[in-house]
Amino acid sequence: MKTNILEVRDLCVAVGDKQILNHLNLEIPDGEVHALFGQNGSGKTTLMMTIMGFSGYDVTNGQILFKGRNIAELDVSERARLGMSIAQQRPPTVFGVKLRTILDYILRDTENPQERMTELAASAKMEDFLSRSINEGLSGGEIKRAELLQLIAMRPDFAMMDEPDSGIDIEALNVIGGLINQLFSPDETHPVKRKTGLIITHNGNILRQLHIDKGHVMHNGSIGCSGNPDIILDKVSRVGYEECVHCIETRCE
Amino acid sequence: MNKPSIVKQLDEKDMRSLAGVGVMPGKDNYAATLVVRDQETAYVRSDHRDVELLPIAEAFKRYDWLKTEYSFKAVPAGYDEITRQCAAMERPIGYFIRVYKGAHVTLPCQTALYMATGGMDQAVHNIVILEEESELELITGCVSERRVATGRHLSVDEYYVGKNAGLTSTMVHSWGKQMQVFPRGGVIVEENGRYESNYISLSAAQLVKSDPQTYLNGKGASAQHLTVILGTPGSEIHTDGNVFLNAEDTNAELLHRGVCIGGKMYQGGLIIAKAPGRGHVDCAGMLLETKGDGFIQSVPGLQSHHPDARLSHEASIGKIVPEQLEYLMSRGMEEMEAVSMLIRGFLGADVIGLGDELDAQIAEIVEIAGHGEE
Repeated sequence: MKTNILEVRDLCVAVGDKQILNHLNLEIPDGEVHALFGQNGSGKTTLMMTIMGFSGYDVTNGQILFKGRNIAELDVSERARLGMSIAQQRPPTVFGVKLRTILDYILRDTENPQERMTELAASAKMEDFLSRSINEGLSGGEIKRAELLQLIAMRPDFAMMDEPDSGIDIEALNVIGGLINQLFSPDETHPVKRKTGLIITHNGNILRQLHIDKGHVMHNGSIGCSGNPDIILDKVSRVGYEECVHCIETRCE
Repeated sequence: MNKPSIVKQLDEKDMRSLAGVGVMPGKDNYAATLVVRDQETAYVRSDHRDVELLPIAEAFKRYDWLKTEYSFKAVPAGYDEITRQCAAMERPIGYFIRVYKGAHVTLPCQTALYMATGGMDQAVHNIVILEEESELELITGCVSERRVATGRHLSVDEYYVGKNAGLTSTMVHSWGKQMQVFPRGGVIVEENGRYESNYISLSAAQLVKSDPQTYLNGKGASAQHLTVILGTPGSEIHTDGNVFLNAEDTNAELLHRGVCIGGKMYQGGLIIAKAPGRGHVDCAGMLLETKGDGFIQSVPGLQSHHPDARLSHEASIGKIVPEQLEYLMSRGMEEMEAVSMLIRGFLGADVIGLGDELDAQIAEIVEIAGHGEE
């Protein structure tokens, strides 16, 4: 039986005065990759930022358990070192700190770190951006590749991605899909068990690139329904999120 | 291998102080080395046939033209009280460097102005001449021994960069907290000459007033000044200076980077265009926790006398951006590591090749600023 690497229990989160997440529950077993669907403003990004521990997201109720441990008191850095990571949709530009510098840090305990960096940068097609400040002047697709490059270097046990498939063409999507598959690929400890992940996707394009174990639809700050991601996406594609929302609300009544 | 022509006793604490500003007498990977300790020349060694390095007094004795053609020509002797005191020295102290025509010196030349004794004035006069087509990297460490609390350091630096020549000057200051420091500089750059200056103050004195004047006199001459300052409580640091675009196609850039955890930090600089050149002044300050007694004032200045000159400036002062800090922390860095990386990046430390000494200062600043571990 699989154990859950992440359990979110009855989570309520406020940003400023506004309640964004409402008694949200979510479980992700170790080795599974889940997708998170939902309309704009349904709380998908807030959920990810809260799980990672970013400031400004106030947990007013509930718990987040990671590897069985309540991580409420852990800051972002401690959560990262515990094995979680995030690729943000709109990460900040960090002027003066080069992509190479942060990769140097991430790979500091790796064997042959410079060779590894060169190899990873080539696979992400980011060789020309290593000496540039992090995210400075990058296009949307380049930002996604830069984020994934860092995550692959980190080899986290649990990776979250916020819309890795938005605003990019089919060619770029193929590259991004390849990187995500690389990120989740099994390591030497198990021949088939993948790394665990949670991916926000608005349009579902990324589903064509990798196997997703389960999908969840968010509505009004909680998980409205869960199930086969292809069936959910098919439904959303045919009838739109409004029908999906109507279905969720009807079932809740 | 040439032996040092003058060697006074540089003991362990002297060497430690000099190493703190990147000066290492006795090492082989330098073209030439000179150390001024208090008011005497303590060490001179020149290993390069194309670089002439002499104590300034000896150079004045050897070359009559030095006084008539160069001395106090880039910095007028009567410019202010500091220059008058330096000009009035009966026995001048400082260094003379000449790089011969066409010589591209690959190894850097290092000099140090070092105060081992407190409560005194150290007044120095330095002249650097790069003849046509020559190139040199000059590293200068200005430092007081760590137990030296008080004193004044006065200097006149005159640099002459000839036609098609290139001088990169990196000056690192690390002074006692009660020291007062008054550098006066004058740089004259001829046609297609290039002057790059990195001025770094890692450990702030009580008072620093720096006011270099750079004259781009030849067509196509260029200058870039990067000033990096770490300001601490009780310090008052003025980094001003003028760059004159006196010929067409000249190009100047003044870049200020200051991190302040206390004290008064004044970032200035004026580009004066008298010909169709280009100039840009960029002042950026990072104000960390100051408990109310610290500030940064940034006043980038432009003055144009020519309608075809293109001048611009920008200035910004802020704190560490929380989103940037947490972004780095999401990659596994502890808060202190992330703050250090942001400060290093802000200061452009990788660009100017600062190493362990800057890390040590940043660690101290992070702790004082309240971001470090208890």
